[in-house]
Amino acid sequence: MSGPFSLHNWEAWFSDWSFFASGFLRTLYISLLGLIFTLIIGLVVGILLCGKHKVVLALCRGYMSFFQNTPLVIQVFIYYNVLPKLGIRLGVIVIGVMGLALYTGAYAADIVHSAIKAVPTGQLEAAHSQGFSYLQSMWHVILPQAVKIGLPPMTNQAVNLIKNSSVLAVIAGGELMYCADSWSGSNLIYGPTFVMTGVLYLVICLPISLLARRMEKRSVRNV
Amino acid sequence: MKKLLSFALVLALALVALIPALAEDSADVAAVKARGKLLVGVKADVPNFGYQDLGGEFEGLEIDLAHKLAEVILGDPNAVEFTAVTAKTRGPLLDTGELDMVIATFTIKPDRILQYDFSKPYFIDAIGLLVMKDSGIASFADLAGKTIGVAQSATTKDALQAAATDAGITVNFSEFPTYPDIKAALSSGRIDCFSVDKSILNGYVDDTTVLLPDTFSAQPYGVAVKKGNTGLLSVVDDTIASMRKDGSLDAMVSKWTLPAVDWAKVDEFSVSLWQQAEELANATATPEATATVAP
Repeated sequence: MSGPFSLHNWEAWFSDWSFFASGFLRTLYISLLGLIFTLIIGLVVGILLCGKHKVVLALCRGYMSFFQNTPLVIQVFIYYNVLPKLGIRLGVIVIGVMGLALYTGAYAADIVHSAIKAVPTGQLEAAHSQGFSYLQSMWHVILPQAVKIGLPPMTNQAVNLIKNSSVLAVIAGGELMYCADSWSGSNLIYGPTFVMTGVLYLVICLPISLLARRMEKRSVRNV
Repeated sequence: MKKLLSFALVLALALVALIPALAEDSADVAAVKARGKLLVGVKADVPNFGYQDLGGEFEGLEIDLAHKLAEVILGDPNAVEFTAVTAKTRGPLLDTGELDMVIATFTIKPDRILQYDFSKPYFIDAIGLLVMKDSGIASFADLAGKTIGVAQSATTKDALQAAATDAGITVNFSEFPTYPDIKAALSSGRIDCFSVDKSILNGYVDDTTVLLPDTFSAQPYGVAVKKGNTGLLSVVDDTIASMRKDGSLDAMVSKWTLPAVDWAKVDEFSVSLWQQAEELANATATPEATATVAP
């Protein structure tokens, strides 16, 4: 009967599974949207980094330096508590998606940038010689090759993004970690709660990690 | 070699010291005596209950109570080591044995009694509501459709939800890890109301905020020990009972400028709390049995 992992505690957890399901779905939702925006930011900033415009380069580098070198939890706290004082009031889901995308996007830009750089310059020159414009050669020639190189590290960032979504618990984000804190805090059943919460994160992240590993193996074979 | 010898000597002495202790005390109390120190988890951020000042010193009603318990068990009020706990850490620290007891504005609830052993209450509080002065909110009814910020691991949410249902209004809740987080969310307009136990809330009243007159549901605070540490529990219960009798607990409460406790009300409340816990335990332990009893 006693102990953090008693049968009673497991029963209690499973009888309230729907509460955790709602948090799980919200984690999925925020992560998916966050990932889409991460890819957009990564692609745009990554391509801009390949250009030569000094001001643009400085802006991109500034963005990446700031978001890579401050904790996500502080960034999220600022969106939640400081922006309203400036008259900008964003909902927690918007903050979640935006916060995760801006943070992970800073890493994604690095990946896109180095993936493009890894494509031999001869490819761009060849595309130019065939009459492709800069953007056309990027889209049709360089990016398809860069995707192969950049996809495995990008997948790792996706896993990071999903795990980092747990930071939203500090601003009452309503996602999985928040549900776990809230439920276990109220009845003090923390044993099954955090084991199962970990399992639920694993259920999302592990398949993606395995996929990344497979892609990595395949790309090594193709090189 | 010399070091090893002296270590063995100390160990032997400790064991010798342990033997007479074992003879008269239960294992949990004996362990504390053998260690010579009472390990207590307290709050570090709740003024008047458990508060750590800038010098690192703890102070408050719960700190005084811990010193008193150390005096009873070990004969020395200073033989106590404090660890700051949060709502999230206090349970696990008891289970792992890192703490002997937790005295940290821990509200006794029936489902919590199934997880830890709680002493009888040493203080009882009511839930209060703190709002911004310029919000125009004057009573609980004005909170219809608004968001109330509460602490994770607090009993506030359930109590206010019940009160809202009674009043026929709907309210939303946001839970935060610490009290300063809730205050920040109130100031930035994220939530319309900050609600925790009234004595805690008093520490957060400033010139922009105001306490509403409404109060809800009594919140009795108890000392928690690991489930099964009944030796320690009975020492705590005996100490609280004798402190109530000689008035020293009331003196302690007023020393920290906390509202006087109506002990008759506390006792009445305690009885129903433990009854509910027992019913809850029976309901989960033998569902078939209760099903057959019901007509």
